[in-house]
Amino acid sequence: MAGTANFVEAQAANRRSTMLLLALLTAIAAGFGYLIGWALQNETTDTFQVVSPLGLGLAAIMATASVGWSLISLAFGARMVLSMADATPVTKEQAPQFFNVAEEMSIAAGVPMPRLFVMDTDALNAFATGTSTHNAAIVATRGLLATLNRDELQGVIGHEMGHIANLDTRYMTIVGVTVGLIALVADMILRTLQWGSFNRDSDKKGNSGGGILIVVLIVVAIFAPLAAKAVQLAVSRQREYLADATSVQFTRNPQGLISALTKLDAAAKPFPGVSNATQHLFIVNPVQKITALTSALMATHPETADRIARLRNLGG
Amino acid sequence: MTTWIVVGIVVLIGLWLIMTYNGLVGGRTQTQTAWSQIDVQLKRRHDLIPNLVQVVKDAMGYEQETLTKVVQARNNAVAASGPAQAGPAEAALSVATRGLMGLVESYPQLKANDNVKALQEELVSTENKIAFARQFYNDSVGSYNTRRQTFPAVLAAASLGFGPAELFAMPDSEKEVPKVALR
Repeated sequence: MAGTANFVEAQAANRRSTMLLLALLTAIAAGFGYLIGWALQNETTDTFQVVSPLGLGLAAIMATASVGWSLISLAFGARMVLSMADATPVTKEQAPQFFNVAEEMSIAAGVPMPRLFVMDTDALNAFATGTSTHNAAIVATRGLLATLNRDELQGVIGHEMGHIANLDTRYMTIVGVTVGLIALVADMILRTLQWGSFNRDSDKKGNSGGGILIVVLIVVAIFAPLAAKAVQLAVSRQREYLADATSVQFTRNPQGLISALTKLDAAAKPFPGVSNATQHLFIVNPVQKITALTSALMATHPETADRIARLRNLGG
Repeated sequence: MTTWIVVGIVVLIGLWLIMTYNGLVGGRTQTQTAWSQIDVQLKRRHDLIPNLVQVVKDAMGYEQETLTKVVQARNNAVAASGPAQAGPAEAALSVATRGLMGLVESYPQLKANDNVKALQEELVSTENKIAFARQFYNDSVGSYNTRRQTFPAVLAAASLGFGPAELFAMPDSEKEVPKVALR
């Protein structure tokens, strides 16, 4: 009973957070737009204004851009990721055990059967994508299917099914857009100010109020993207813990996932189809070597030893 | 003024009834879908077992006691009707099936046979699917029953025609270790 309740709750929480984040994202984007317009207008005119028409205009543009960007990412994200990973779809005849295990996990999760793909590499890894339970896909490497035993494979597929059932992909897509947009805007601010500083001396002097404002803007523009990135990574790590726990809720067998994580961690390596843009999707990060130190702040995944320790607490 | 307050209250009660009704329908549909999933997998197991028995029989050259037991348990399970009868019959079939798996494991010539291997994978998967479908069905029944018994839905559930759903129990003969007769 606790089983379903937990991931149905996680799903509801993720839906709420997605909406909240979308609203926050739009607000941040609009706020940034307004700030730029306002600063520009106060730079060029002598009277100090709180309400700036240019700011309002830019705010509207930024808000539209953020909503549009989110919708496009949600609509095309999965397709882009799959083509970037160079994954080929497989049928039951080609990979019977992969197919069976995925079907078992989809039954345990009560979600429709996702599409299945294989990446042609001997590396051991897997990821899930899709912005709803109806358009989801699970991708496994050929090495994973060949190396793991049935219980281990079930643990890994359960983890990916956990991401699907918890609607993590949708949530992380919006988080990614938020972070991207903040970085973009910060970059725009820095460029605008750089350009503005060239003709400031000739234009006007002694606007010290504006000077402080510019300094604040620069500081915000430098630190906001870093802070946003740190939040994104923290969220990503939490989602990994949650997917591990959800996997065990499905399989009722922590030992399978523990043993799989041990093997995957030992064999972790970059392979064709993986880039910095997709490294966070995989069950074990193929690019970054995660240690206790990096996992405190800048890692996409928690340290594998820590994940295993938490699984043992679930009765492994 | 008073009229508007009354209208407002009636609208609120109406909205609440709609939401409660939809929530209960959602829960009931989920339990029904989950039940049909169990049904599909049980049928699939009934279809697979004769194939595996046949392949094992061919590979070994004679019919063994474990095989007759499996066939009998399978026929009993097929004949059972309704969850009350199906539960124990399917549980007995699970035990017999595990006996068959044990038999396959202990005969190298069976383990190496490709047909046996493929059928074994199918049967293991079907067993798992039954277990997971049962787990999901019982979880769904649990949350549906909780929902219709909690306040305030409990005030409306019975009069809207939402009865309690039944758990699917397979009595715990599952813990029993199957004996494999090596002839």
